[in-house]
Amino acid sequence: MEFFLIQTLNGISYGLLLFMLSSGLTLVFSLMGVLNFAHASFYMLGAYFAYQVSTKIGFWPALVLAPMLVGLIGMAVERWGLRTVHRYGHVAELLFTFGLAYLIEEAVHLVWGRIAVEYRVPPELDGPLFTIYTSQYPIYRGFMMLVAVAMLVSIWLALTRTRIGLVIQAALTHPQTVEALGHNVPRVFMLVFGGGAALAGLAGVIGGNAFVTEPGMAAAVGPIIFVIVVVGGMGSLAGAFVASLLIGCLQTFAVALDWSFAALFARFGYTVTSETPLAALWNIGLSQAAPVLPYVLMVLLLIFRPRGLMGTREG
Amino acid sequence: MSATPSFAANHGPAIELRDVHKSFGTTKIINGVSLAIPAGERHAIIGPNGAGKSTLFNLVSGRYEVSSGRILLNGEDITGLKPYQINRKRLSRSFQVTNIFHNLSVYENIRCAELWSAGYRYSFWHRVGALKDVQQRAEEVMERIGLAKRRDVPAGTLTYAEQRALEIGITIAGGSNVILLDEPTSGMSRTETARAVELIRQVTEGRTLIMVEHDMGVVFNLADRISVLVYGEVIATGAPEEIRANPAVQEAYLGALHKEDDAGAQPAGDAAHA
Amino acid sequence: MKYRPLNLGRWLIWGATALVFLVAPLALRQAFALTMMTQMGAFIIFALSYNMLLGQGGMLSFGHAVYSGLGAYITVHVLNLVSKGTFSVPVSLLPLVGGLAGLVFGVLFGYVTTKKAGTTFALISLGIGEMVYACVLMFPDFFGGEAGVSTNRVVGEPFLGITFGPAIQVYYLVAFWCFASMAAMFALTQTPLGRMANAVRDNPERAEFVGYNTQHVRFLQLTLSAFFAGVSGALSCINFEIVSAENVSAIRSGGVLLATFIGGVPFFFGPIIGAVVFIFFVVALSGFTKAWLLYLGLFFVAMVLYAPGGIASLILLQLPVIRARRFREMLVPYALALAAGLVALAGLIGMVEMVYRLSEQGASTVLGVLGFAFDARTAPPWIAFGLVLAAGLASLRYAARFALARWNAIQHDLLARQP
Repeated sequence: MEFFLIQTLNGISYGLLLFMLSSGLTLVFSLMGVLNFAHASFYMLGAYFAYQVSTKIGFWPALVLAPMLVGLIGMAVERWGLRTVHRYGHVAELLFTFGLAYLIEEAVHLVWGRIAVEYRVPPELDGPLFTIYTSQYPIYRGFMMLVAVAMLVSIWLALTRTRIGLVIQAALTHPQTVEALGHNVPRVFMLVFGGGAALAGLAGVIGGNAFVTEPGMAAAVGPIIFVIVVVGGMGSLAGAFVASLLIGCLQTFAVALDWSFAALFARFGYTVTSETPLAALWNIGLSQAAPVLPYVLMVLLLIFRPRGLMGTREG
Repeated sequence: MSATPSFAANHGPAIELRDVHKSFGTTKIINGVSLAIPAGERHAIIGPNGAGKSTLFNLVSGRYEVSSGRILLNGEDITGLKPYQINRKRLSRSFQVTNIFHNLSVYENIRCAELWSAGYRYSFWHRVGALKDVQQRAEEVMERIGLAKRRDVPAGTLTYAEQRALEIGITIAGGSNVILLDEPTSGMSRTETARAVELIRQVTEGRTLIMVEHDMGVVFNLADRISVLVYGEVIATGAPEEIRANPAVQEAYLGALHKEDDAGAQPAGDAAHA
Repeated sequence: MKYRPLNLGRWLIWGATALVFLVAPLALRQAFALTMMTQMGAFIIFALSYNMLLGQGGMLSFGHAVYSGLGAYITVHVLNLVSKGTFSVPVSLLPLVGGLAGLVFGVLFGYVTTKKAGTTFALISLGIGEMVYACVLMFPDFFGGEAGVSTNRVVGEPFLGITFGPAIQVYYLVAFWCFASMAAMFALTQTPLGRMANAVRDNPERAEFVGYNTQHVRFLQLTLSAFFAGVSGALSCINFEIVSAENVSAIRSGGVLLATFIGGVPFFFGPIIGAVVFIFFVVALSGFTKAWLLYLGLFFVAMVLYAPGGIASLILLQLPVIRARRFREMLVPYALALAAGLVALAGLIGMVEMVYRLSEQGASTVLGVLGFAFDARTAPPWIAFGLVLAAGLASLRYAARFALARWNAIQHDLLARQP
């Protein structure tokens, strides 16, 4: 019971972090039609910038400064990169962001080296929040969930209640009309892309010290985010939410469990030996298979429900 | 394969719609359309903008699924079939917004439309340059649509009228015997329109044609019968003179009939939305 | 801008290519040149197979290494079985084994991945790639774990004295399969399937309306592409005598994407150029500087922004100008732009190398160039290289504008001369 509760909380906090990332990606995709392959790289930059700022100044300034820096970089990328490539079509845009992801990773190697950096949880957030049975639940995990929820609520409010949000929503389907009404649509896109980058950066600030801050972190979490977007249905925020929590919990539980088909067979009296065909497959423990599970989920979904959990028809 | 429909197999209508409804979410676009078009007829569908004419085409050609009702092609139920399945049953359609293969040459565009009906399917063992039958048919089509001189030009660089001609060319290339043309003369000048009308008349000889058009000159010139679609319902079907004289049609759509537009612009009777 | 189809004799081009393959090792005699050319040969097949998807089929894949890598794994196991005497397959026919393996996996994964198109397809291919990579690490018995599976290509009876031991024999084996694969893939572009793949790329919706199931077209195109990727993987296995998880990694998938794009996606021969350039970067440049990946990435992004048709497009654009005998008018602008570019590059390289010195633990922070020593910890070298970079970029802008003006004038004249 304790195990179940702790793992569920962990799964939800990880899932919310994943949703912070996938929601930014989905928003930019819905609003600009471009899938930002470098979204996870902005996450990484957020973590590294937060590391720099927190070692020089402190964690709380980093929480504000790092996402801003990443957001500025995002705006610059849109202004001088994406805008040029836009006329060549979606494939070229995707390739540009792919190249960008590559470059950012190399730049990170260049500046901070190849091994992980010691980006730590600040001491005031380091400790137990509450105790369930015998396990302690860390404050920082609670903090992560808080930040994630606060961020999402403020995005929702910004999009639906503010003028700029309404302009963005309108520019999604009718960019020319919005421009004809006097709004600066290219500037709107620049803000949206920068905003998406800042969100990813924020996720990096709070995720980088909870997990690990190293140059491979973008490549580790990037594909998972893309799987979430595909599983949830391209362009669907609700789908991304469900898929994030699903995959977050799936991975968290899988890593902690050691089930295997062999154990299952043993229950029914069948022992798997080294002679059994595909023995290696039956002996695989769930914790070993954890990295593969999101992709298996994706494949299954593609076979049985290609439009994703909540996808609308492919645009 | 000849273009004449096989009357022996089916004496019924070439295309039949039975109480077809289509809604997008809660918006009802097609509200119970029933229509029967006999083989070999040239049938025009007219109506104000937003009446659902393109939607009807999309339903018949398989681009959209009906919400309810049935569609029959030569007596066979094609409701819910995919576009390529319907096309293989010898129905082709053109598009109002030109929908060609812009990186391929004119010749290659036509050839792609020939390949399936010529039986080559997904072959990766035939050299397409050596297929004489396909080449011959493609060249015939290019002659007919008047683009033989522009054979190797990438389709994306053609003029607008040439692209519209190519659009028709792709539609007729497969030898289909039911042809749907969606506003084939939209955006054309008088001379271009006259040429297009002649072309359409020639290539649809012996075939069934369903045409959506705004240009009344074209409609009354070509059509054997006309259906008038207003707010997703057919309010009248009949020979051109009948339609002209029909008061409901006049009120809903034609308005002051004496004005004949040449550019396909909307007649003044657009106040049908009153 | 129009790319006119080349009217040079096809036979001439193919004959010349075959000749180049035959004669290359005699022209470049260094040992590293031979291994580099062997690698290029295998990579050319890989890149061409990738372009069957991207350039011809309009499918952007981030996981193509799956097919070449799994083909390589199957090949390495077959080769080991041949050594043990279980089968008898001549080494020269092993690429077919790899190809068949690629084909099988193409059918398996292709069914799932081609259900969607466009951006979604790209993401799915990434997911499949990651999945296969993770599986490879999960089953060390078959895949050899991190270390991989090694083999020996000198097996069985020598045929006419050929054992495939010496590097030169491996080169000719690769060259043969490379030429044969190039010819086969080119032939495929001239088939109904090849043509419909192009049509599906240009306008998948219309392709449906002329009777083709676009998903099926894409599926077939992918399986054929996977076949050739498997051939390339088998050759890689024979050449390096080892197959590891790297063969199915996202890095390798990314590499072939970069190479194909740099060469030129819209043209059949583009990937050939891209493969040669890419392998050259990897083999030759990586020895000189640690930052070679960064330079490669910058080159790629620059191509995406300014020359999305790749090197092939840049070459082909010059042809009408050459034919009109006005190329010499572009020589000066090009030379100026090149000079400016080199200056900017020098500034960039200086700064990048200094950053590397600073960030690397325990490395000397002194950079030696042309006998001068710059200490990266002091300010002057930074200012100097920074100025060089800025000057280079500024003059590049002017040179580019000059070249463009000249170019537009020539193009204007050429257009005016057309009927």
